Amino acid sequence: MKFNTDEIASVLREEIDRYQSGIDVREVGQVLEVGDGIARVWGLSGVMAGEMVEFPGGVTGLAFNLEENSVGVIILGDYLKVNEGDEVRSTGKLLSVPVGDAVIGRVLDPLGNPLDGKGPIATDLERPVETLAPGVADRQPVREPLQTGIKAIDAMTPIGRGQRELIIGDRKTGKTAIGIDAIINQKHSGVKCFYVAVGQKDSSVAVAIDVLRKHGAMDYTTVIVAGASVAAPLQYIAPYSGTAMAEHFMYNGEHALIVYDDLSKQATAYRQLSLLMRRPPGREAYPGDVFYAHSRLLERSAKLSDEHGGGSLTSLPIIETLEGEVSAYIPTNVISITDGQIYLQPDLFFAGQRPAMNVGISVSRVGGAAQTKAMKKVSGGLRLDLASFRELEAFAQLGTDLDAATQSRLDRGYCMVELLKQGQYQPLDIVDQVLSIYAGTRGHLDDVKRDEVAAWEAGFLTFVRDQTPEVRSRLEETKALDDETERLIEAAIAEYKRQIQGSKKHEPTLAGTT
Amino acid sequence: MTTEDPKRSSSLDAPRDIGAARLAKVYAQAIVDAADRHQCQAEVLEEFTQIVEDVLPRVDNIASVFESPRISTSDKSALVRTTFSNKVLPITLNALLVLADHGRLGLLTELVVALRRELDQRAGKREAVLTTAHSITPDEQTAILKSVEGSLGESLTAHFSVNPDLLGGLVVRIEDTVYDHSVSTSLVSLADRLKQRSINEIQHRRDRLGSA
Repeated sequence: MKFNTDEIASVLREEIDRYQSGIDVREVGQVLEVGDGIARVWGLSGVMAGEMVEFPGGVTGLAFNLEENSVGVIILGDYLKVNEGDEVRSTGKLLSVPVGDAVIGRVLDPLGNPLDGKGPIATDLERPVETLAPGVADRQPVREPLQTGIKAIDAMTPIGRGQRELIIGDRKTGKTAIGIDAIINQKHSGVKCFYVAVGQKDSSVAVAIDVLRKHGAMDYTTVIVAGASVAAPLQYIAPYSGTAMAEHFMYNGEHALIVYDDLSKQATAYRQLSLLMRRPPGREAYPGDVFYAHSRLLERSAKLSDEHGGGSLTSLPIIETLEGEVSAYIPTNVISITDGQIYLQPDLFFAGQRPAMNVGISVSRVGGAAQTKAMKKVSGGLRLDLASFRELEAFAQLGTDLDAATQSRLDRGYCMVELLKQGQYQPLDIVDQVLSIYAGTRGHLDDVKRDEVAAWEAGFLTFVRDQTPEVRSRLEETKALDDETERLIEAAIAEYKRQIQGSKKHEPTLAGTT
Repeated sequence: MTTEDPKRSSSLDAPRDIGAARLAKVYAQAIVDAADRHQCQAEVLEEFTQIVEDVLPRVDNIASVFESPRISTSDKSALVRTTFSNKVLPITLNALLVLADHGRLGLLTELVVALRRELDQRAGKREAVLTTAHSITPDEQTAILKSVEGSLGESLTAHFSVNPDLLGGLVVRIEDTVYDHSVSTSLVSLADRLKQRSINEIQHRRDRLGSA
């Protein structure tokens, strides 16, 4: 790169002319011992809890434990560069990260340093990593929907802007996929997205970033990475850093979505730190304040009142369970903090139902308030119907003869299960979702074979888009399902069925070839 | 005022054992209180310093004897009594016996540091380490110390040290606070300011480009 030496020289000259030698006053301490991402420091008598401290070589730390004779510091960086006897200086500042538009589209570490090789984050906007959540007077109820683009979720466990919805399940049940799909679906919604990867394999994170990039989602997304190879302190603060970045948009009247993938790894990192700091272990060796670590993080997601700009921060924390054990310490904690959970089950996943959501125990405590009128109308009762279908299905497996009514309920259930299956990274527009679920719940798919449901749905949605665009535009406009819209949809379905009947009649017979 | 003496550690250095330092502080407070009643604080400190710095290093394995749990406290007390009675002040002897009774004779080194700090604290004196880039003459040391004491408004027990990495200027450390007026720190802050300025410049140009 060619640079102007005269310009640099003039800047330097100017600085030297204006140079005033000031005395740098700082408080210092001395490293007594260091290891495993933490240091014990003698001195620093005036340091505050949570204050940032500096080690030689630019490594930063966080005052974590203030004891009678020493200070326990967590090292945010390469602790191998810190030696016994090194001078530690306090900075008088809380740990802060860069925020604002400059971080959008970037891959950062939890301190806000770029990891994507796209140059420094050029901004002077900063926010402290740990801040207080907005109080009750600053909030308003959640009522605006945040569409995830996943039929099963938007219909049965709707998520509102400002809500905290937990995604919980065993390993390899599609938890991350839901978070990524939700981010991809925000493409035209103006919602800024943040994906916080804690303790994940770097290869998985690279795949997630690649998917986001391919779907054009990196234009409005920031990825904060504290992979499995980084020290526990960075894994511990990563969710708080991501939240600070997301909060900036909330407090400026915009909407943001944050996915914490996953908080069980963060809890493990926090347990490691706490044990090394000799804080007393509690249940499952987690420290007593692990609940507070998660509650103060998730409380920062909110829907602000109109006086405060009406911005929102929605969070999708992810928790990984072991062998479906939801009553373990961390899962129960986070379940009790969040406003509902999406429970993913391995047996459903392997049976081909993806997303593998267990409808019976997945809930959204915000519920219908966060749904459009149209969606509320078509999906009302769907969750209960599906839950009762699962019971009925178990009963039917006993091989008893079923009466016609029960058999038809079963068929409808199978059909709905097929309809709610959805491919990865294929979020659906809310209008398409309403049309699909309308067709299913009103029995228009009862005569369609189970393995043809997906093709029928895809064909129907294309048909509506190409041949009856007035249905879509009406739904988009009103977002409600009035009589006239229903009549239009019924007519569209009838016409589509007529067309596929016709095309089937004219298909050449393939008898004998299969 | 003292110059750098490798044998005598400054009380600003981190203790090897925090627990021992904490215990020593408690004993030091009690000993100074007792000495205060007999107006012999300085003498007691001097005697303890002599015991730790001059006497103990000449006796082989004395530290092991003091710390060993296999030697009973009564034996240790007898040892202290026969060694020091009539040679030191009664207060010093009593303090040594109390230490022996409680099995704390191993704390003697930390106790001297704690005693010195306690006495300085009570006299309103604070310990300071003044670091320069080059060695300076005693006259210069006195002048610098006077000037520092004048600007801080308190009297200091000063240790001088040399660190060529500073390039120039002076660094004064009083307890946990460092007053840094060195050339190296000034250069670092100048570099930071230039970097910050460049970032602001990039941001300004980018914003202008974005709004155009």
